[in-house]
Amino acid sequence: MLEIEGLEVSYGPIRAVKGIDLRVGTGEIVALIGANGAGKSSTVKALAGLLPYAGRASWNGRPLPHAPEAVLRAGIALVPEGRGILQRMTVEENLRLGAYARQDRGALTADIEAQMDRFPILRKRRGGLAGLLSGGEQQMLAIARALLSRPRLLVLDEPSLGLAPLMVEQVFALISELRAGGLSILLVEQKARQTLRVADHAFLLETGRMRASGTPDELAASPALAEAFLGGIAPAA
Amino acid sequence: MSAYTAGLLAEIGIGGIAALGVYVILATGQLSLGNAAFMAIGAYAAGWLTVTHDVGLTAAVLAGALLSGIVGVLVGFPALRLRGIYLAMATLGFGEMTRSFFLFFEPLGGAAGFSGMRQLQVSTIWIWLGIVLGVLVLLARSRLWLTLRAVNDDEVAANLIGLHATALKVGAFGMGAAISGISGALFAHWHLFIEPGNFGFERSTELVMAVILGGSTVAAGPVLGAGLLVLLPETLRFVADWRLAAFGALLILVLLVRRQGLLDRNLLRALTFRRRGAEARPEAAEVS
Repeated sequence: MLEIEGLEVSYGPIRAVKGIDLRVGTGEIVALIGANGAGKSSTVKALAGLLPYAGRASWNGRPLPHAPEAVLRAGIALVPEGRGILQRMTVEENLRLGAYARQDRGALTADIEAQMDRFPILRKRRGGLAGLLSGGEQQMLAIARALLSRPRLLVLDEPSLGLAPLMVEQVFALISELRAGGLSILLVEQKARQTLRVADHAFLLETGRMRASGTPDELAASPALAEAFLGGIAPAA
Repeated sequence: MSAYTAGLLAEIGIGGIAALGVYVILATGQLSLGNAAFMAIGAYAAGWLTVTHDVGLTAAVLAGALLSGIVGVLVGFPALRLRGIYLAMATLGFGEMTRSFFLFFEPLGGAAGFSGMRQLQVSTIWIWLGIVLGVLVLLARSRLWLTLRAVNDDEVAANLIGLHATALKVGAFGMGAAISGISGALFAHWHLFIEPGNFGFERSTELVMAVILGGSTVAAGPVLGAGLLVLLPETLRFVADWRLAAFGALLILVLLVRRQGLLDRNLLRALTFRRRGAEARPEAAEVS
């Protein structure tokens, strides 16, 4: 279980995240939604060890490590905004490196094959450069690579960004499928409606502060959601 | 073998090893314009050991490599804060600093240079080249090399998959420096006289040029590049005074046509008849 209290992230004098609390339970999909500049990516980058932060963060009762490699070894994998794939390396090399932090490498080949079964396009493109994949294929590679580290919590930062609607549907279907397999997921998104459809719990972030939280139904009914995204204008049904 | 041929072969061997030092550092995306300084450290250290302490050549070469490697790690740490052209400038500064140090360090001859070494055979140089090249070819098949390439590709992404990018970059700097140190030690025992001017900016530039010309994605590339840098000006003698200009034009042409250098994985695979299935791997220029 991931628990954070009073998380603050600053870029010099600018405070991007101003003391937020968040909790991701085992096997849950927790959504962190908010408009551009709300502080979502800063929050997950801090949790992944890419940014320094103040506040308390614990993972399964222990303090969350601060270095990226230690966070990954603890069982938290981040798929960053923009996917973070290794563009000039092949699909297969990306996948092999995904398991770098694992202690048990015996099952690596079988696990890579399993990810290729899940994402057949990766098998087709295994020898090609990752940078030549389409946006959706890159997203699949990024998720497959993260899964090869055998995480217990998968943090997805705007996985639908820049994808065609059909591909977005596939990504959200995959998120539900992964949760059904027992994985905890922290889903950072701007697509509030689709996100709330798959989430168990949601947090709404606005200009670095937690504006609201609750079940997806509670948040969907909250005027805070419309205000955060549309400045108070209720979205059309 | 004529003295002329032996000289050319020695220069190719020494240049090839030194270029491999640049290649290792470049594998993590770091451009060093100061590898001649690591050659200098290896040259003076090994020369001093064989001349004043009667140490055997192999031990002296290894000691020179070790000292260069340690200095490389020390240089690598501050260099972590710099990238691209800024890192290149910092390593250039380090190179000039080292050259100045040997220029004024009288115990090792200062401006008058250092001599007294016993000459080695060309074959010894090529045995060292074979060893270094062999180690790097094996390394290229390892998981470690994959991680170095990952750091080169995207440092943040590399961190996210659990790689310790800092350690890998510093380690590569140290290893590249040690390899250049081997080259310097051999240089000292081939030329028998060394002076700070042997290890200036021009030599560092030549080493980078050898890697870019020969190919920065396979270990054989820098050796080929070093060979061409030695042989092309010789074979272009028919254009007399214009040979260096012709050489420069040829260099530009190669870079325009093959940005990744003359040798890459696909070409090497084709040359060594190791075709793996019909699937050709696209090759990216890995010099950033």
